[in-house]
Amino acid sequence: MATDAEYASSIFLYSALPLLKTLAEEKAAVRNAFAGKNGTIQVSVRPKPGETGETGEPEGQSSEKTAPEKIGTHFMVKDGKLSCFTRLAGSPDIELEFPSLKAFNGFFAGKSMKLPRIRGALKAPGLLVATFTGLLAMSAALGAKEAPKTAEERALLVKLFFYLLSSGISRLNKTGHPAVSKWASVSPDRVYAFSVDGRPDLGAYIRVKAGNTRAARGVYERSKPFFTMSFDSVDSALGILLEKDDMIEATVSRRISMLGAPEYGAMLGEYMKLVGAYAK
Amino acid sequence: MSLAIEEKSRLEKKAHELRLLSLDTVGWAGSGHIGGAMSAMDIMTILYHKYMKIDPSDPAKTGRDRFILSKGHVGVGYAPVLANLGYFDPELLKEYNHTGSPLGMHLDSLKVPGVEASTGSLGHGLSLGLGMALGARVKGESWRVFVLLGDGECDEGSVWEAAMAAAHFKAVNLVTIVDRNRCMIDGPTEEVMALEPFADKWRAFGFEVVEADGHDFDSLSAAVERALAAKDKPVVIIADTVKGAGIDFIENDYKWHYGSFDAEKAAKAKESLARYHERRIGTAKGEAR
Amino acid sequence: MSGGLTFTMLDAAKMSTAEVYGAALCELGAEHRDVVALSADLAKSTKIGTFGEKFPDRFFNVGIAEQNMFGVAAGLAKTGLVPFVSTFAIFTSMRGLDQVHTDICYQNLNVKMIATHAGLSFGQAGSTHHCTEDIAIMRSMANLTVIAPADGASTGRAVRAAYERKGPVYIRINRGFDQIVYDGEASDGAAAGSAAGSDGGPAAGKNFEIGKAIQLKDGTDLTIIACGSCVWRALEAARMLEKTDGLSVRVLDMHTIKPIDKEAIDRAIKETRRVITVEDHNVIGGLGGAVAEVAAETGKSFSFARLGIPDCFSLIGQHEDLLAHYGIDENGIAAAVREMMGKDFEADENWDDEV
Repeated sequence: MATDAEYASSIFLYSALPLLKTLAEEKAAVRNAFAGKNGTIQVSVRPKPGETGETGEPEGQSSEKTAPEKIGTHFMVKDGKLSCFTRLAGSPDIELEFPSLKAFNGFFAGKSMKLPRIRGALKAPGLLVATFTGLLAMSAALGAKEAPKTAEERALLVKLFFYLLSSGISRLNKTGHPAVSKWASVSPDRVYAFSVDGRPDLGAYIRVKAGNTRAARGVYERSKPFFTMSFDSVDSALGILLEKDDMIEATVSRRISMLGAPEYGAMLGEYMKLVGAYAK
Repeated sequence: MSLAIEEKSRLEKKAHELRLLSLDTVGWAGSGHIGGAMSAMDIMTILYHKYMKIDPSDPAKTGRDRFILSKGHVGVGYAPVLANLGYFDPELLKEYNHTGSPLGMHLDSLKVPGVEASTGSLGHGLSLGLGMALGARVKGESWRVFVLLGDGECDEGSVWEAAMAAAHFKAVNLVTIVDRNRCMIDGPTEEVMALEPFADKWRAFGFEVVEADGHDFDSLSAAVERALAAKDKPVVIIADTVKGAGIDFIENDYKWHYGSFDAEKAAKAKESLARYHERRIGTAKGEAR
Repeated sequence: MSGGLTFTMLDAAKMSTAEVYGAALCELGAEHRDVVALSADLAKSTKIGTFGEKFPDRFFNVGIAEQNMFGVAAGLAKTGLVPFVSTFAIFTSMRGLDQVHTDICYQNLNVKMIATHAGLSFGQAGSTHHCTEDIAIMRSMANLTVIAPADGASTGRAVRAAYERKGPVYIRINRGFDQIVYDGEASDGAAAGSAAGSDGGPAAGKNFEIGKAIQLKDGTDLTIIACGSCVWRALEAARMLEKTDGLSVRVLDMHTIKPIDKEAIDRAIKETRRVITVEDHNVIGGLGGAVAEVAAETGKSFSFARLGIPDCFSLIGQHEDLLAHYGIDENGIAAAVREMMGKDFEADENWDDEV
């Protein structure tokens, strides 16, 4: 079983960090920062011994304290357009390397200001600036306590949350979180979706089947999803995602609709909360 | 009872006219069941031109009599009868068997005005006719149904199912006529599948049997009137006929169940029919044959 | 489509399917003087005899002569009457098929054929009296409407709908001891309407409409399309699967096989992507074949299975036991569903999250 630190870092590294790409596409300040830039950016972390838990290995082997491997996510930037890869790159131009899960998680949770080791600052300063611009924007967005001012920003935030939650739940399964992986392991082929009425561009979903999960963006076309958590507007979505609204009350007043059996809605809500807990 | 001379003369003329038209139709169609059309022509003539209550301008008229050509393959003989009466434009006969034509080997009740049932699959007509006759009874209407069967057709078991039922239901408004030309495709009926004692079979099934000369209007007239007077047993008229009647080189030849004539043969056929007609009206005028 | 029947669910429970049909026919006959009925010495077995008792001069028993019976029915229809003809399904679809085809279908006559003892419902009688081919045969007859009602109440409605529909109709029913799927009349007025996409429930049967499948249960994992005696079994299987496996299974009563409800099949394919058909009929050419034809033309990929009699002549036995033997009872259907849920139609086995 993995540790909480691993769950958290997995979510940051593979669910939150990829949102940089979305921000580069849709937030002007970030888009401008990356405009015309080329190169590879990587965020990595080298967990310290003991930070990672056993992953199903027999107990006798835990005494081997070999250093766990470095993990990371990288982006390839081409003329300002980002592509994201949830693995390490060969030789990135810019790398933010964290010395431990604790440092990494702390930084991304906004709890620690300790900067990571930065490589490539001199060779690609513009790219580094763009990276930090993007990370700051992400931190601001995901750390928001109130809904943003403009309609465009509110919609973007809902999209970021949907992507984060769908991917986060999938990550929890992949890293073996007991509750989530138990649910996934017995599930027949099903799709759980998040949506806002009239805004298919904001949607996200998770496909589950016999232990596998896959988070994806957009609207699932192949069949009617098994379950959809549907919001009647961007504001209603933010009300729940920013934990301002009460779920029950929102359901009663139809700001949120559970399309599918309510038992599954409750379950999905639980996992959303889990992701939120690790990501905060 | 004999027909009046004028009436018989009229019928003879009509039958001749229709035989010629049927011959022409076979020509337009390319080929046809000429043998059985010729043997049945006098029966159809006397029914349509003396006994049946019909209205060619209103094929669905309430109270009309019905005729079912159970031996549906002789459409080339029946269509001329209907065309000649005005059920449809006789010009259509020239397109017999052409692609998309309403007229084909077996006449379609949904396409040809005057045709009461789409026959062609042998053995159906008597059941259909019985159904109509019973329908008339249920509705309290007094029209009659005339069903013309081939003799080979009577090999079909369904004919006897219908016969048994017709007798059981005392369907006296159903008049059954058998065109007994003693020929079928593979040979004479008595060699392929013997029907004799044919009249006895019908009697055994509960019918009253009237035997008639299928080419003598006096004989046919007497038979039809006997049938129409039936009280508790339906009547079957077994009409003794000649396959290909009137065209001497095909008469009684089972091979002419179906065929086609080239121009030369067609001309010869026409000449034969003319001679045949002369013989028939000679008899009508009382001259010895 | 209205005009309900006046017997209650209690009566339907007491009566066998065939008796409901007999009662429905009598009702129809009382209202409409043009209804006549025929039998081929099976008046008592097919329960059409009740009509005969009430309206003796509008009833004709032609004895054991099916071909003549269908020909006579055609003749009666020609006079403007509406004949209901009843015999066993095997005799309607095979013994008298030339007459059905040529006299009735080709001439597009108003003959309503009630084919009883369909499928293996007369199990003890053996293959001479079974009929697992009639849907395949009849749906290939042009002009013919083919209906397989799920239970007695549904049969009564089908009879009435058949009367109102122009042209020949073929209705296949069982021996008369079917399970009850639908109420005889709406038990509560509120449930009487059928909202699109909602669970039809037993009251949905009231909206019987030729050519429109009835959705007895909504679902998203998989759709079972059934007809006749398999409808009740499909519903039981779906309920079972929901309770034990947590599966969301849609159940469609596809009572009209021709004209088939293409829209319902289309939705089942697009919304659930898994379809299982069930019928008391050969897997070749019946409901399964009809659904497959429509489904294949949607251009979508989907998982598909046909449950039915596996192209063989059946064993002798009680109907229910035979259904179990051939895997078309509720347990067989549930097993088939489970098997299909284990399979995947999406070739994409990439389980990486989208970034």
